[in-house]
Amino acid sequence: MSAAVAWARRRASAADAWRRLRRDRLAMTALIVLVAFVVMALIAPLVSDRADFDAINTGGNPTNSSPSGQFVLGTDGLGRSMALQVMWGARISLLVGFSATVLMIVLGVVVGLAAGFFGGWIDAVLMRITDWFMVIPFLPLAIVLASVLERGVGTIVLVIGITSWPSTARLIRSQVLSIRERLYVDRARALGAGKGHIIGRHILPNVTPLILANTTLAVPIAILTETTLSFLGLGDPTQVSWGGLLERAGTTAVKAGYWWEYLPPGVGIVLVVLAFTIIGRAVEEVLDPRLRAR
Amino acid sequence: MGAAVTLAAAGSAVVWVAPVSGSSGGGTVTLTVGVTQDVDSPNVTVGYTVAAYELWNLQYATLTDKAADDFATIPGLASTWDASDDGLTYTYHLREGLKWSDGQPLTAEDVAWTVNTSRDQEWYNHSSVTANLDAVALDDVTVQITSAVPDPKLPTMDVYILPKHIWEGPAADDVTAFDALDGVGSGPFTLKEWKPGQEWTMVANPNYWQGQPKIDQVVFRVYTEGGAMVTALEKGELDAANDIPAELFADLGTQPNIVTVAGAQGGFTELAMNGMAGGIGDGHPALLDLNVRHAVAMAIDRQQLFDRVALGIGLPLTVLGVSPDQEWLPEIPDAEKLGYDPEAAKALLEDNGYKDTDGDGIREMPGGGEPLVFRYAERSEGTQGAAIRELITGWLKEVGIGTEVSVYDDTQLGDIIYAGTYDLFVWGWTPFVDPDPMLSYFTCDQVTYDADEAGYNDANWCSPEYDALYVQQNQELDHAKRVELVHEMIRMFNTQSTYVVLYHDADTQAYRTDRFTGWLQQPKGTGPVIFSNSSPTYFNLTPIESSGSDDGGLGTGALIAIIAGAVVLVGLIVFFAMRSRSSREDRE
Repeated sequence: MSAAVAWARRRASAADAWRRLRRDRLAMTALIVLVAFVVMALIAPLVSDRADFDAINTGGNPTNSSPSGQFVLGTDGLGRSMALQVMWGARISLLVGFSATVLMIVLGVVVGLAAGFFGGWIDAVLMRITDWFMVIPFLPLAIVLASVLERGVGTIVLVIGITSWPSTARLIRSQVLSIRERLYVDRARALGAGKGHIIGRHILPNVTPLILANTTLAVPIAILTETTLSFLGLGDPTQVSWGGLLERAGTTAVKAGYWWEYLPPGVGIVLVVLAFTIIGRAVEEVLDPRLRAR
Repeated sequence: MGAAVTLAAAGSAVVWVAPVSGSSGGGTVTLTVGVTQDVDSPNVTVGYTVAAYELWNLQYATLTDKAADDFATIPGLASTWDASDDGLTYTYHLREGLKWSDGQPLTAEDVAWTVNTSRDQEWYNHSSVTANLDAVALDDVTVQITSAVPDPKLPTMDVYILPKHIWEGPAADDVTAFDALDGVGSGPFTLKEWKPGQEWTMVANPNYWQGQPKIDQVVFRVYTEGGAMVTALEKGELDAANDIPAELFADLGTQPNIVTVAGAQGGFTELAMNGMAGGIGDGHPALLDLNVRHAVAMAIDRQQLFDRVALGIGLPLTVLGVSPDQEWLPEIPDAEKLGYDPEAAKALLEDNGYKDTDGDGIREMPGGGEPLVFRYAERSEGTQGAAIRELITGWLKEVGIGTEVSVYDDTQLGDIIYAGTYDLFVWGWTPFVDPDPMLSYFTCDQVTYDADEAGYNDANWCSPEYDALYVQQNQELDHAKRVELVHEMIRMFNTQSTYVVLYHDADTQAYRTDRFTGWLQQPKGTGPVIFSNSSPTYFNLTPIESSGSDDGGLGTGALIAIIAGAVVLVGLIVFFAMRSRSSREDRE
């Protein structure tokens, strides 16, 4: 009975949060931009074929041609449509961004929860590991991992996930530490609630807003990291991603003035990253009353 | 010295404003050359990259030299020579008073030691020339070289003479372990410093037998981005550059004070397949089947690669290049050309049992089992690796052959080739003047049987018949007959499809005309100006006094790039500003 009440209350507060979010014009614009990119990535295989920009099929196309009616974003040196590549590239960039975020959040939440809730030597050990990952310079570690492991989208996801979870873990842990000491948790414990019950019913629901906000803010980090690694030539060379497109354009396209070969993926990255950041901030404000009314 | 400190970022896309290199700032005249390939090893018994050869061309003089115009054999360290009646023995008379760059006398003993030791120890770059030779120093300036067999290459002695007093110690132990950073040589410039991945610097050798060079030092700067290299050349930070991206080549030729050269010297780009003759490594078993190799060859449209990737710069030849002189290249009959024919490739695979039994579009070995998925090693250095890979892997897929792509720099690529842990790779060769060295690379003797003792035979293919022909041409004094033999060898090699020669590439180079004069094409009219066979340009260059400063105005491309950069930057600033705000609040 009381669980039903709690859920109803949570539903109501979620509806309230959504209402507040909708009033944030900037966040809604960002959301629309984001949805547009996600839709673009999702429909890419429906409106085109991967083979359409396979180099072996583009021999008849003009090369390095500027945007035209036939190729709205022009073509690259092998006659491949840049518009198609940017669309398909969004798939990899977003896929990596989302999967790496899930990985980093799951790792961060599990470690943060365990450390914060159990305390003692578990906390000490986990936090030392977290510290260790935090002090290692991020980019060199990512580069080393990406070059040692087999190239591929999975590796990039793994590398980003492994190198980015510590801040989430710290954040969650501090929140858990404060929730753990609250009165109703003590009461639940006094009534004989097990550890699983306390974590599942009291702690987790209370850190969820934090996880949510953190997730939205982690996606852009993951996307930027994917871009960086691909730009450094550590991505999967057989996959089209925004970072990979930038890497391929390199300085040759810049030198030759083929702006349509690097500007669209670059703008795509900036828009998606910005959109996520704006939404993340908005979500944070909505969920955390202390950040409101400024 | 000014230019030396500006190189921290060479190779990255960072555009660095260097002191004007050609002008004699601080009294040092520096020639700066942009390259896309680093030296693999300065040790002449180890290295194999074109970059390393340029280093040795400058550092080590040869007994006989090669004319800049036509490769004719001209006096080098030896001013004259006489042949014995049987044509097997040549007596070379060295110039008087020759000295190494460190001041030690260069004597006949150095020559004899180099010839004999390289023969005994089968040094990488020497052995095809010295294998049958025996040298005796008659006195300080006379060396007698006797060939055990008739040698059509003599009296030309196209090998680097090394300073015995430096190399004797390392050679007594393990010569390949020597770092060779000593910088002692007899050529016009000697190595002063090598920063792997960044640059190497060579300084003038006052003891060079032709005299003191008019340039004090040559700096070779390694770029990973061809576009950045071209920008540096246009801005005057570089005086010359090798391996200009084909896409930028035509436009560069229209720039003021810049001359472009598409130098031909018989170099080519090939797709190689692991033949595993050395018994090491783990090449795909299907590649041992000639039918599969033929199918791979026929799946690839080489004319299209030449047109679309090389952009028509070079020659659309699919025959092994062995010399800048096309006389050595046979006409391949159409039936042996293995030209683009994907249907024939599919039929060949199908008929030999390579069928797609599980319906995934990739064929399996006869009787099912291991799929026909080849590891494809792509070269990160150079400018064409990715485009070639896109096309070749696409065409292979069309005939039901899968690929797994990995990208390597030249040193890594060399390592996996020696280890035999590859199936396919794309790389290239630049041959010498005489076809013998290039032909020798495919003999059984050059196969790598032990990864620590690497040979040149990078596709690990060998055949006794080919070896027999190699020995024959190696000893054939009748030029016409030798040409015939070489033709036969090349045709035999071609039908084996160990190498699928994609095209003959030209060395796309450019140099500035406002800082130095005396650029030499070798051979005249068709060859490259730098990275040529014996690299005579460097010694021939004279700085131009009062080099004018160019304004280095920005093109539209650069402007758009700057705007794009600004957009990205603003976005990132907003992003990080918001992040830092959030993290600040997290801490409250």
